[in-house]
Amino acid sequence: MADERGPVVDDEPPMRMREQIVLQVGGRLLTPFILLFALYVQFHGDFGPGGGFQAGVLFAAALVLFGLLFGVDRVQQVIPVSVSEVMIAVGVLLYAGVGVTTLLLGSAFLDYDALSAEHGQHWGILLVEAGVGIAVAATMTRLYYAFGSLHPDSEPAAGEHGE
Amino acid sequence: MAAESVGQGLQQVALSTAFDVHFPALEVVLPLVAAPLCFLFRSRAFARILSAAVAWLTFGVALVLLQKVLAEGTVRYPLGGWAAPYGIEYRVTVAGAWVILVVSLVAALTLLFDSRGSASRLAPERRYLYYSAFLLCLAGLLGMAITGDLFNIFVFLEISSLSSYALIALGRDRRALMASYSYLIMGTIGGGFFMIGVGLLYQMTGTLNVEDMAQRLPAVLDTRTVLVGFAFLLVGLSIKLAVFPLHQWLPNAYTFAPPRVSAFLAGTATKVSYYVMAEVVFVLFGAHFVFTEIGLGAVLMPLSVAAMFVGSLAAIYQADLRRLLAYSSIGQLGYMTLGLSLANVEGLTSGLVHVFNHGVTKSGLFLVVACVGYRTGRTTVRSMAGLGTRMPATSLAFVIGGMSLIGVPGTAGFVSKWELIRGALAAERLWLAAVVLVSSLLAVVYVWRVVEMIYFGRPEGLESLGRDGEPVREAPFSMLLPTLILVAATVVFGLWSDPTLSVARSAAVELLGGAGG
Amino acid sequence: MAAAEATAAAAAPLPVRDLAVVELGPLPLEVLLLALLGLTAVVILRTRELFPAALLTGVFSLINAGLFTLMDGVDVAFTEAAVGAGISTVLFLGALSMMDRSERQRPPRWRALLAVVLTGAALIYGTFDMPSYGDPQAPVHRHIAPQYLAGAEAVHIPNVVTVVLASYRGYDTLGETVVVLTAGVGVVILLGGRRRRRSAGVGSTIEAGGRDGG
Repeated sequence: MADERGPVVDDEPPMRMREQIVLQVGGRLLTPFILLFALYVQFHGDFGPGGGFQAGVLFAAALVLFGLLFGVDRVQQVIPVSVSEVMIAVGVLLYAGVGVTTLLLGSAFLDYDALSAEHGQHWGILLVEAGVGIAVAATMTRLYYAFGSLHPDSEPAAGEHGE
Repeated sequence: MAAESVGQGLQQVALSTAFDVHFPALEVVLPLVAAPLCFLFRSRAFARILSAAVAWLTFGVALVLLQKVLAEGTVRYPLGGWAAPYGIEYRVTVAGAWVILVVSLVAALTLLFDSRGSASRLAPERRYLYYSAFLLCLAGLLGMAITGDLFNIFVFLEISSLSSYALIALGRDRRALMASYSYLIMGTIGGGFFMIGVGLLYQMTGTLNVEDMAQRLPAVLDTRTVLVGFAFLLVGLSIKLAVFPLHQWLPNAYTFAPPRVSAFLAGTATKVSYYVMAEVVFVLFGAHFVFTEIGLGAVLMPLSVAAMFVGSLAAIYQADLRRLLAYSSIGQLGYMTLGLSLANVEGLTSGLVHVFNHGVTKSGLFLVVACVGYRTGRTTVRSMAGLGTRMPATSLAFVIGGMSLIGVPGTAGFVSKWELIRGALAAERLWLAAVVLVSSLLAVVYVWRVVEMIYFGRPEGLESLGRDGEPVREAPFSMLLPTLILVAATVVFGLWSDPTLSVARSAAVELLGGAGG
Repeated sequence: MAAAEATAAAAAPLPVRDLAVVELGPLPLEVLLLALLGLTAVVILRTRELFPAALLTGVFSLINAGLFTLMDGVDVAFTEAAVGAGISTVLFLGALSMMDRSERQRPPRWRALLAVVLTGAALIYGTFDMPSYGDPQAPVHRHIAPQYLAGAEAVHIPNVVTVVLASYRGYDTLGETVVVLTAGVGVVILLGGRRRRRSAGVGSTIEAGGRDGG
C-alpha cells in the first residue's frame, strides 16, 4: 500500500489545481457554455447529432469540471446528493411514464401516436429524450459524487451529504 | 400520423381494446417502473410492500400469459406500435411463458421470505436500495425471456446482470465483494461476447428480430461471419449459464450473496440464460445447422457430462452448505445442457421441465439454509448438527429438497431425470442414461452428508447455541412459509407431473419446430 | 407498393457517397487513426502506472470517436467522446485516488493470453465474409434501414438516428436508461453509505468496502 508515489499524487494535484488561476477562470467561463451546449444538444437532437444521452453526459461534465476545480462540496450546494438520486428516478419514470400513458390511452406501450394524432411522435420523442437526459445527467453526477467525494481533498464535505 | 401512407414498416399495429393484450408489456414494465419508485421514495416499508406486490402481479400475469399461449399460440406485442421487424416485438412462446412463470414465482416467494436480521450489509434505512436492485434484476430476467428481439435480449441481460452484481456484493461476508467482482468480470465478458455475436449477425442479415433473422440466416449460413457470430453468442451465453468450464464465477457468487439473493438467482438467472440459448440454437439457427452441420453436440455433450461429475464431486467436499448447493447447481445445469445437446423432444423437455423443477428445488434449499443461518448464525454443514429435533420442519424441508436433487421418485427431480434418460434412449445413447444414473449417486453422497449431520450429528460445545447465544429453535413462520411452499412444490409436481411435463413438452416441440413453427 | 417507393426514395442518396468509399478503400486518415488506436491499446496494457493508463483510456476513446466520425456515426462518436473520453476518465481517476497507483508485477498469465489470442483470431476470421466497408448492397442498408429513413422523413425529423433510438427502438432506449439507473443504484449501494459511517468515526467499516490492507 505504501507506494512511494502514493502521497505525492495523493495530495499535490488538487493543491496545485487550487493555485491554477488560469484553470479556475477558464473553468468558470466554460461551465455555463457547456451547460448551454448540453441543453442545445438535448433539444436539437431531432435535427443534428445528439439527444438525451449525450446531453445528459455533457451536463454532468460541466458539473464535474466545476467540481474538479472548486471542490465537490460546491457542486453539492447546487445539486445535493439526494437531489441527484431523485432525478435519476424521475428521468426513468418520465420515460416509462410516457409508455404507461400511451398504454392507458389504449395504444401499445410507447406508441407516441396515442399522445396526439398529428404531433405524437414529436412529443413522445421530446419527452423520452428529456427523461434520458435527466436520468443520465443525474446518474453521472451521482457517480462523480460517489467517486469524487472519496478523494482526500474533499474530506471537509463529510457528513453534509444530504442523505 | 401519416404513417400508413408511407410504407409497411411504419404501419401501426392495431391492438385489440381488451386490456389483457397489454399483459406482455406489463409483465416487464411493472417491475421496471416499481424499481425507480422504490429508489425515489427511500422507504424500506414502501419498497418491501411494493416489490412483493409487483412480484406477485408478475406471477399472475405470467400465469395468464402461459394459459393464453397454450390456448392460442404465440402471443405478440408490438412495442411502440411498430410492427416487427421494424420495431421491437415481444414474442411470448410457450417456453418463454414457462420461464417467466418460474422466474416470477421464485421472485414472489423469495420476496415473501422475511429476511429480518440477516440479509445484507445495508443499514436498515438504506434497505430500499436492495428492493430496487431486486426489482431491476427481476425485470431484466423477465425481459430476456419475453422479448423477440436479439438486441433487446442484450439490454435486459445488462439490466439483470448489473443489478445482480450489486445484489451479490451486499452479502455480509466481505468476500462477497470479491465474488461480485469476479462475476462482474466474467459476466461482462459474457455480455460482451453476446453483443459481438449480435453485431456480426446483424451485419449479415440487417435485422435484429429473432424470427426475421431466422428467416434471413439460411441464405448466409455458410459464411464465416455467421459462424463466428454464432460462436460468440454461444460462448457469451455459456458464461451466463455457467456451462463447464465457464462456471467458476458461480460458487462464490451464490455462497457470499445475501441469502434471499442466492435463493432468487439460483432459481432464475441461469434458467433464463438456458432459455435464450435454446432460442438461439433451435429458433435462430435451427437444430439442423447447429447439430448436424457444426456438430455442437460433440462439444456440449461431454461438457455437460463433465459438469455433472465435477459439480457433484466438488459438492461432496464442501464444508459450507451454500457452496455445496452452488456446486450442485453446476451439476444440475449439466443435466439441463445435456438435455439440450440431445436435440430431441425428450431431451429438451427434460431441460425445460428442469427449469421449473430445479428452480423451485434449489431456491427452496437456499431458503432452508437461510433459515438455518438465521437461527444458528452459521451456514456450514456442521451447523446442521442435531437440527433434526430442534428445527424439525426446516430439516425435513432439506431432506425433501435433497431428494429432489438426487432424483428420488416422487420428487420433481425424478421427473426431469426420467425424461432425460428417455431422451438419451431415444437418441440411442445408452451410455448417457447410465452416466446420468451414476452421477445421481454422487448427489446421494453430498445430500446424505448433510442429512446424516441433521439427524445423527451431535452439536459440540458452542454449536448447540445459536445466533446471539440463544438456543436454536424453528425458524419464524414468515421465513418457513415460502421455504415450505417451494419444497412442497417439489413433491406436488413430483407426484403430479402432468401439468409441468405437458407444458415443457409443448415448449420443446415448439422450439424444435424452429422459426415460425 | 408504397413500401417499394419509400425504399427507392430512401436508398437513392446513399450509393453515390458510399461507392466512392468502396473504390478508394479505407482512407489514409482511417488507417492512421486505427494504428494510433492499436498503439494506445498496447501502451495501456504495457504501463504499470495506473494514472497514465487511466488517462490513456480517455485518449483511446477520443481516437475511437474520431473513427466513428469518419464512419458517419456522428451520434455514436459524440457519445464516445463525452462518456469514454470525458466522464469515465474522471471516474477512473476518482477510483484511483483510493487505491494503489501502480499495478503489481504479475507472472504472465498464459491461459489468459491464449484466450485473448483465440478471441482475436476468431474475430478476424469472422471479418472475411463481411460485406465491404460502405457496401451499399450490405444487408444493413437493404433490409430495414430504408424504412427507417422513410419513416423519419414522414414525421419530419431530419436526424434518423433519433427517430430509430427514441421511437422505433424506443423500448431499447428505455432499457438503456434503466441500465443507467441500475448503475446508479449499484454505485449508491456500494459507495453511498460510506461517508456517513466514516464521519460517524467508524473508519473502514465493512460498509466502506475500503481497500485497506491491500
